[in-house]
Amino acid sequence: MFAQQLVNGLVVGAVYALIALGYTLVYGILQLINFAHGEIYMIGAYVGIAVLAVLGTMGLTQTSLALSIVLVFLIPMIYCAAYGITLERVAYRPLRGAPRLSPLISAIGMSLFLQNYVQVVQGARDKAFPNLLELGSFQLFGAYVNGLQIFILIIAVGLMAALQLFIKKTKLGKAMRATAQDRTMASLVGVNVNRVIAVTFAIGSVLAAVAGVMVGMYYGIVNHHIGFVAGMKAFTAAVLGGIGNVTGAFLGGFLLALLESFWAGYVSAVYKDVFAFMVLVVVLIFRPQGILGGSGEADRT
Amino acid sequence: MRKKLYSALIILTAAVFLGSAAYAATLKIGVAGPLTGDQAAFGEMLKNGATLAVEEWNARGGVKVGKKKMKVDILWGDDRHDPREGVSIAHKFVNSGAAGIVGHFNSSVSIPASTVYAEAGVVQITPASTNPKLTEQGFSTVFRVCGRDDQQGEVAANYIVDKLKLKRIAILHDKTTYGQGLADETKRFLEKRGVKPVFYSGVVQGDKDYTPVLTAAKQAKPELVYFGGIHPEAILLVKQMRERLGMKALFMSGDGIVTEEYYKIAGKSAEGTLITFTPDQTKLAAAQSVIKKHRKRFGKEVGAYTIYSYVAMNMILNSIQATGSTKGSKLAAHLRSKAWNTSLGKLQFNKKGDVLESPYVLWEVKGSKFVEMK
Repeated sequence: MFAQQLVNGLVVGAVYALIALGYTLVYGILQLINFAHGEIYMIGAYVGIAVLAVLGTMGLTQTSLALSIVLVFLIPMIYCAAYGITLERVAYRPLRGAPRLSPLISAIGMSLFLQNYVQVVQGARDKAFPNLLELGSFQLFGAYVNGLQIFILIIAVGLMAALQLFIKKTKLGKAMRATAQDRTMASLVGVNVNRVIAVTFAIGSVLAAVAGVMVGMYYGIVNHHIGFVAGMKAFTAAVLGGIGNVTGAFLGGFLLALLESFWAGYVSAVYKDVFAFMVLVVVLIFRPQGILGGSGEADRT
Repeated sequence: MRKKLYSALIILTAAVFLGSAAYAATLKIGVAGPLTGDQAAFGEMLKNGATLAVEEWNARGGVKVGKKKMKVDILWGDDRHDPREGVSIAHKFVNSGAAGIVGHFNSSVSIPASTVYAEAGVVQITPASTNPKLTEQGFSTVFRVCGRDDQQGEVAANYIVDKLKLKRIAILHDKTTYGQGLADETKRFLEKRGVKPVFYSGVVQGDKDYTPVLTAAKQAKPELVYFGGIHPEAILLVKQMRERLGMKALFMSGDGIVTEEYYKIAGKSAEGTLITFTPDQTKLAAAQSVIKKHRKRFGKEVGAYTIYSYVAMNMILNSIQATGSTKGSKLAAHLRSKAWNTSLGKLQFNKKGDVLESPYVLWEVKGSKFVEMK
């Protein structure tokens, strides 16, 4: 049972972590909690369905599976990146000089708007996510492991490693770190702050899109309010790890999912969410900056 | 500028009053259920059934109340299976002068809302809320045209013990009035027959990942997993049992999963699912005309509760016409007074407001559809 709960938790953790990265990246740079981020993830899942439907009618899912998989991730990524950049341009940039509460309210407004917009356009009923990747299962230490679970873990860990490299090694990553430390100073030394912020939103949204498509593939069911719960959990994960800290979001996502999984398996499935938020409260009492410490420490975004 | 604004406002207010005056001659019936959200599939059934009935009445010129004929106007209420929404909708209906209510869908909503309707003396017929408590509250104006979960649970338990002869049963529920109520009734009847469930737990409604609780259930080595709840959770549970954990145990549930979404989304995993539900309505001779009309009007087949909703609406309108009154107590007395010939066959209410006979039978998912078992 232990091994099985570990597998269960790791898969959910990969999704939490990917979404949490979007919260943490934006917070690191703007000190803004982008509550509309969960909706971007939801939109990613919907675009995934649309892409699969088109590919299905073209017959591409039968003839070229590899290309279909690439497209089913790539198109939602591009689409969501555009959503993220637009979101920043429309809802947050005009409020950049305003008191901190204003962009927060704007974020909540955007979240409600996007959720209702998708409901109106796509309908309120659950949508099935077509089966694309049929992978076999095998037993490992008594746990039942599905190929799709391994696929999800590999993609998630790979993306996070790529993100770390991007932030540490590239010029744009350096500009991001500079903007996070001091926006005014960065612009004085020639960093195009607006562009850096737009890129940050784009990266966060791309990761959310991947999470959305993966969740669609994994659970096979999508509706317009999956973004709310997932967003809440990912936000919790980001705070748990230390908001503004990329490694922290990664760690927080897996930690939260594993705790939930073991709690639900060994203690009580009924109080799973209660437990998750209780852990958050306890951690914040003893370590308000989160486990790895938030922005302001060495590992800033 | 300000003067103009004021005069515009006055005209607007007057227009609103005039508007409501023009509609005063209509008969208002409230229809409420989860019209949007993840259970919208059931909401749509309620909506289509009620719409069909009202359109027929209006085509005949309306309902005769005393001397004049009144057109019927449906007031819609979307409770999104949220009890709080349900109560506020109930107040809204009562304040708008609804003469009767068809709804709500979920027991967890119907029960708190029924208090509001009963206090206001408005007749309420639910097409689908099966929790026993609804009609055990002693309200004379509350009725249901569907069965009760104690009947449903007994049929499920007897089938497990007598036909399947299984001993190791895991029971899950979604913690709602309906889901937990049904699961508990099934558990009670199983225990009566000497089968003690090997696992019992609630799950969080709206969650996406149930593998942790299913893994715990798997440890108990169940031969059958019984779920009390609605299709969105049932889909995920059965999929994750089969695809993620390789569980071969049978899956059984109640009337809350009878939507095409269930087998469409769960696909292969849904095959062999056992369900307790009322006998196949589409085979009833009395139902054929509604089924045809529904197909013509909406371009699709009737759902599990479409005809129930149609019947409930017709009963209310018939009673209003027969008594010439919209008073709850009079309508309730009329509803109880006779055996009704409905599209679901003969129906008669007992003192509590339940139908006298409600035989639940076993269904299964076979070849991507629901099939009544012989």
